[in-house]
Amino acid sequence: MKVSRNRIAVTVLASIVLVLFCVTVAGLFYYREMIRKLGEVQEENFNEYPRLYAYIAEDPDSQLSNSIYKEISEYAQENGCYVEMTGQNLSTRYSKADRINIAISSKVDGIILEGDESEETAQLIDKATANGIPVVTVLSDCDGSSRKSFVGLNNYTLGTEYGKELTAISADNQNKALNVLILLDRDDGNADDITHSAIQEYATGRGIFLTSSIVDTSTPFTSQEDVMNVLDSLEKIPDVIICLNDRTTESVYQCIVDKNLVGQTTILGFFDSETILKAIDKGSVYATFAIEANNVAKQCVDALNEYNDSGFVSEYYSSNYVLINRANISNYKPEENEDG
Amino acid sequence: MAKGNFFANMKISRKLVAVFLVTSIIAMAVNIFIYFNLNQALDKINSVFSSNISLNELSDNLNELHSGLTGYLETKGTDDLELYYASSQKMNEMMKNLNDEVTDNSIKLSERDIRNMLETYLKTADEAIQAKRGRNIDEYTAKYNECSKIKEYLNTYIYSINNEQFRTNSENYQALVNSLRYTEIMSMLIFAVASVMNVLLIIVLTNTITRPLTRLSAKAEEISMGSPENVEPLEVVSDDEVGKVTNAFNEMLASIKDYIARIRTQLITQSEMKEKNLLMETHLKDAQLKYLQSQINPHFLFNTLNAGAQLAMMEGADRTGEYIRKMADFFRYNVKKTSETVKLSEEIELVDSYIYILNVRFAGEIIFEKDIDETLLDVMVPSMIIQPLVENSIKYGIKDVEPGDGKITLSIYREGDNCCIRVSDNGIGTDEDIIEKIMSNEKKPSETRGVGITNVMERLDLHYNNREVFEIKSKKNEGTQVTIKIPMEAGNV
Repeated sequence: MKVSRNRIAVTVLASIVLVLFCVTVAGLFYYREMIRKLGEVQEENFNEYPRLYAYIAEDPDSQLSNSIYKEISEYAQENGCYVEMTGQNLSTRYSKADRINIAISSKVDGIILEGDESEETAQLIDKATANGIPVVTVLSDCDGSSRKSFVGLNNYTLGTEYGKELTAISADNQNKALNVLILLDRDDGNADDITHSAIQEYATGRGIFLTSSIVDTSTPFTSQEDVMNVLDSLEKIPDVIICLNDRTTESVYQCIVDKNLVGQTTILGFFDSETILKAIDKGSVYATFAIEANNVAKQCVDALNEYNDSGFVSEYYSSNYVLINRANISNYKPEENEDG
Repeated sequence: MAKGNFFANMKISRKLVAVFLVTSIIAMAVNIFIYFNLNQALDKINSVFSSNISLNELSDNLNELHSGLTGYLETKGTDDLELYYASSQKMNEMMKNLNDEVTDNSIKLSERDIRNMLETYLKTADEAIQAKRGRNIDEYTAKYNECSKIKEYLNTYIYSINNEQFRTNSENYQALVNSLRYTEIMSMLIFAVASVMNVLLIIVLTNTITRPLTRLSAKAEEISMGSPENVEPLEVVSDDEVGKVTNAFNEMLASIKDYIARIRTQLITQSEMKEKNLLMETHLKDAQLKYLQSQINPHFLFNTLNAGAQLAMMEGADRTGEYIRKMADFFRYNVKKTSETVKLSEEIELVDSYIYILNVRFAGEIIFEKDIDETLLDVMVPSMIIQPLVENSIKYGIKDVEPGDGKITLSIYREGDNCCIRVSDNGIGTDEDIIEKIMSNEKKPSETRGVGITNVMERLDLHYNNREVFEIKSKKNEGTQVTIKIPMEAGNV
């Protein structure tokens, strides 16, 4: 009896020893693994791509450029290449020319450039081409350069669409004569001019009287001040204000609210930022025209990939605008929320 | 289980060494593990900012390279060219550590940009130096300007990536420093667990060693308490020294049991033999007694006399009848009491009958006197011991005395633990030599004259196991005195 009790005691003790041993070993390995993983997490989670393209925006802070870059980046990653927004996250804010130079020096496989009509840009495009880097311009072209393709928007159509919206507003006001102010972008070259001409053409003979002002959007702070100045200089607030730029649209909307002029004027905006969509939802902005960013992104990436693969690419890709107003805003709001 | 047997079969000294080694190895392994982990954690902490350090080195080297280039382009100095080439070579080495793959990790991508920009820089710088050698001022000035611009981009990139990495590294550093505290706690925990484990292991293993010894000592104690035949042998669980001692112990236990069994058998045999001897002796005594009693069987006389008494009664001869009845009583007693002990009173009655018969026969010539302690009447004595003595006194003591003078006295009295029966006469007495012969059992009684004194003596000897209970005293012409001392033991009274 005594012996069997001893044996039970020994068995129990041996079991405890075994359990402690297993727990200790498991604990040691778990701890070792924990220590090993520390500091490695950041380096592990990345994918490699065979091609790198640079996106060079006119203004890296503009919502339009960021929206397009976001779409380009997503589409590119789905198609086996990576697009970086050159000059972003750097301690120094570089000019467009410097950013093109950086892209050339860092030997990217292609450049997507928001073009302009300057000589310097054309030269830099030529330099890139000389270094074997194809350049695709987007939103604005750079005439006379050696860019491979232009992904453009049909600004004439845009002007016509604005004209149609003006007619609709006029009809809502019992075909009263409309005073319309068009706010043009100083840096946007001939794109705004084409739009302006198309609106003018459409408005002629329909009781719509157009005036225009130029707004400086070159820096983030000038736009709001310029808009305020323009509105202050007017004797009478126009019936309709047409904005051809995202920053201008938001600035006008804010000024109208600040000046308590909501209801006295109608805003036709540009771009589909969250603020603008909210304003449409509230009725403060009548309608806005947005770029089909995903289509533009697809055309840019496809153009560069096609050139790199075959050496040839179509010189011009066209994309349209979409109208967003209170009737169809529900189609855009959820997407906006998701993108958040 | 096999492992357990292997351990159980080891020598005790080896077992102890094994216990010590196992626990020491566990403690050592835990220590090495903790030391290794701590070292690893410290190495990691040390390496946290290494990426910042290497980026700073890269930046310094770029500055040296550019100053070499500037110096050479300015003065065409050989020292500057040497500095340029040395820095260029170093830069090429350093560039190998930079990532050159396109990734979606911003730091890695910046590394790739830096690497490519450095390549462009080196290429442009080489072209500038070539142009300098060709004394083409416009070209090397343009190249130099481009280099300066790239250097500026590079410094911005290095600065930015350095900042980014510093932020990440600081987070890592904080995490590692925290982990070092966990390491300390974990080490203490592991050490405590290992210590507890070691203690338990030592308890288990030493218990395995000492348990057989404890069992052995318990068994030994059990045996020392007595009755080892009920003690079961110990189970031998190991082949070590204790196992051998246990084996020897079991063999010893088996021998003790065997020895005890043999002694017991021997004792039983001896006792049986003794019992047999005693039985044989008893039978012999019985046989002798029966033989002696058969000598005085008076059956025929008893039967005859019974008939005579009935005849006398029928004829009205009362005295004759009484005489014959007494005779009949006398002989009936003989028939009845041959094989057993009787009360002393019955023996006295027999003597009375006998004297009556003789007095009828000899016309009242014998004077018979009794001096009896009434308390002794119930003492049990062998039958037919007094009558032969009285007969002897009549036959040899008073036969020659004048008729009417012969006197026989029966005395029964107590003497210490003995009941004394004395028959004395006033006859001629017995010669000393005859008494001696009677006492030494040489003189045989006459077979034809009834039960003799020798017969009484022999029976008393047999009954009382040769105790000296018989005594004869005699004086010439004064009579003979025979005394029997019956020991009054339990059962006699």
